[in-house]
Amino acid sequence: MVNRTSQIFSPWVVEDIHAKSDLGRYRIRGFSSFQKVTHFDDLTFLSTGLTRYPLEGYKEKCNTRTIIGGLNAENPLILDTPIYITGMSYGSLSANAKTALGKAASMVGTASCTGDGGMHPAERKASDKLIYQVLPSRYGFNPHHLKQAQAIEIVVGQGAKPGTGGMLMGVKVMDHIADMRDLPSGIDQRSPARHPDWLGPDDLAMKIEQLREATDWKVPIHVKLGACRVSDDVKLAAKAGADAIVIDSMVAGTGASSEILLDHSGIPTVPAIVLAREALREIKLDGKVTLIASGGIRNGGDVAKALALGADAVAIGISALIALNCNREIPGSNFVEEIGLPAGECNRCHTGKCPVGIATQDENLTSRLDPDEGAERVANFINAMTMEMALLARSIGKSNVHSLEPEDLAALTIEASVMARVPLVGTNKVFGDN
Amino acid sequence: MHDLVSIDASKLSTRQINVRLTELIGARKDIEIINPKARHNIIVGILDKCNITVRGSLGYYCASLLDGPSIVVEGNSGWALGENLMSGNIAISKDTGASVGASMRGGNICVGRNAGARAGISMKGGSLVIGGDSGFLTGFMMQKGQIIVCGDVGDAVGDSMYEGEIYVGGDIASLGNDAVIVDITKKELISVWNKLEENGIDKQPEFKKIVSGKKLYHFDKLERLEKSSV
Repeated sequence: MVNRTSQIFSPWVVEDIHAKSDLGRYRIRGFSSFQKVTHFDDLTFLSTGLTRYPLEGYKEKCNTRTIIGGLNAENPLILDTPIYITGMSYGSLSANAKTALGKAASMVGTASCTGDGGMHPAERKASDKLIYQVLPSRYGFNPHHLKQAQAIEIVVGQGAKPGTGGMLMGVKVMDHIADMRDLPSGIDQRSPARHPDWLGPDDLAMKIEQLREATDWKVPIHVKLGACRVSDDVKLAAKAGADAIVIDSMVAGTGASSEILLDHSGIPTVPAIVLAREALREIKLDGKVTLIASGGIRNGGDVAKALALGADAVAIGISALIALNCNREIPGSNFVEEIGLPAGECNRCHTGKCPVGIATQDENLTSRLDPDEGAERVANFINAMTMEMALLARSIGKSNVHSLEPEDLAALTIEASVMARVPLVGTNKVFGDN
Repeated sequence: MHDLVSIDASKLSTRQINVRLTELIGARKDIEIINPKARHNIIVGILDKCNITVRGSLGYYCASLLDGPSIVVEGNSGWALGENLMSGNIAISKDTGASVGASMRGGNICVGRNAGARAGISMKGGSLVIGGDSGFLTGFMMQKGQIIVCGDVGDAVGDSMYEGEIYVGGDIASLGNDAVIVDITKKELISVWNKLEENGIDKQPEFKKIVSGKKLYHFDKLERLEKSSV
């Protein structure tokens, strides 16, 4: 039977060509890649039977404590869970959303991160542990804020749009955002792709030393990479002196990106973790430089699989926003009327009209998000994921989630076997191995 | 004036130099650094008013992430001198490498001779005065502030700049994307000459003024769903 529509020129492709013919430019949206890629769902855990004993699934102690950046920093980041909240800018998100995320992270003993817009005072106040990003744009960058941070993250690239800078459409660049970023109000702000003061890995090594000197070698320095040429990039970042490397995959989220980059650049999370871990092992920094994975982490199973593949921690973005009520009708909202798409399908973060008050600067809309209520929801979600991860670890007989390893996994598809370097279920074969 | 204390950089590590600087600034001393030998990353992250004189040349990222200090450098510097300066003054007698005053948000930087590429890149405020020539991409993606180049500038000056002004006394190799030359008024010219005088530069070139053409401020068109929300 042959489909009655073209597989190449599908209705979506036709609509896309029409839209670009009208616009004369690339299309922009938020959320995440729509590409179908190998992901954590293509892996399964091999729990205990007669070869190993399980721990009591619901009760017995299972350690989730996570240390980030112990290599050079006097005060590494110590978290109660390997899950923290990734950098999302004040500007892309509302002050209420940033406050809620910071508060949620504090409630569960983890960290949140500033993003490409500087440090908002309410976010600083709400966050016990705040990671301060150093981005190519340096919007609102302030050495006073640098010294207040619990960790520093140099952003080289972002998984959703590697090789480009951030984007904030004019409708969201209101006076207070423009002031913070030293920009004219209302412009379509497209951030730089390159840092203003360094270019290659040798400069990066000196830049890292500069930030260490400015913070008296007290806090860890992370380097965030968009997952593309993972092996080389990870080695170069580690050799430049990073305490931690964040590898952000092609399915990671964004508040605004050109669609062409969202869907056609980068590599998925599973191979990104494996390649990064192998790279660190090759240069003998495995276990010394912390590896953090981000992109498409949705539940405790994803976290556990990321850890088993070699990550030490994960960062969440979109799932934290969903916990905050992204894509959910709430009292006062009407997605179809306000944004033109039903709740559950919205990806219009860049338009500044987020019906639930997260990705907007409109006062009427931001008032729909109560930061305390939102914080509780996000904290609940992180707690739930931490419990799920621990439950899986116990079922495999592990009393520490960081003891999860590739041997605990099997692949459900040949592609996943190749990318994750674990055997295909029903076989002893790791596909791709010579 | 406070007591002057000397730090011999040749006898200390970078960490030791910066720790010693913090101690002396806390004790309200004026400081001179001798034998810097192009050391990277010294005079970093100082957030107090103080006077520091460097007798020699500096490496990368020196006198960076500052808020308040007054720095005099008798020599040259590597990349990113004065990066992210919030307030204060930096005067360097000779040449600087690339990215001098990168992303600076306030204060004043004066380069006695020439600056490398990307001078004043992503600048967000303050003044950058260059007595000689400046390299390519001067004022790249500049957001606010003032760059004054007494000599020539390289290719793509002012590329993608948002706001602020670039004044060039010599030849312009080429303008960057969306950078335009506009008429300079007599009042502005006198103000720029005064700025040179304040910085000890005895020159009065007939400056050309470069600003943003503002054609890159917005996308030309919006999509239906974007329009419905704007």
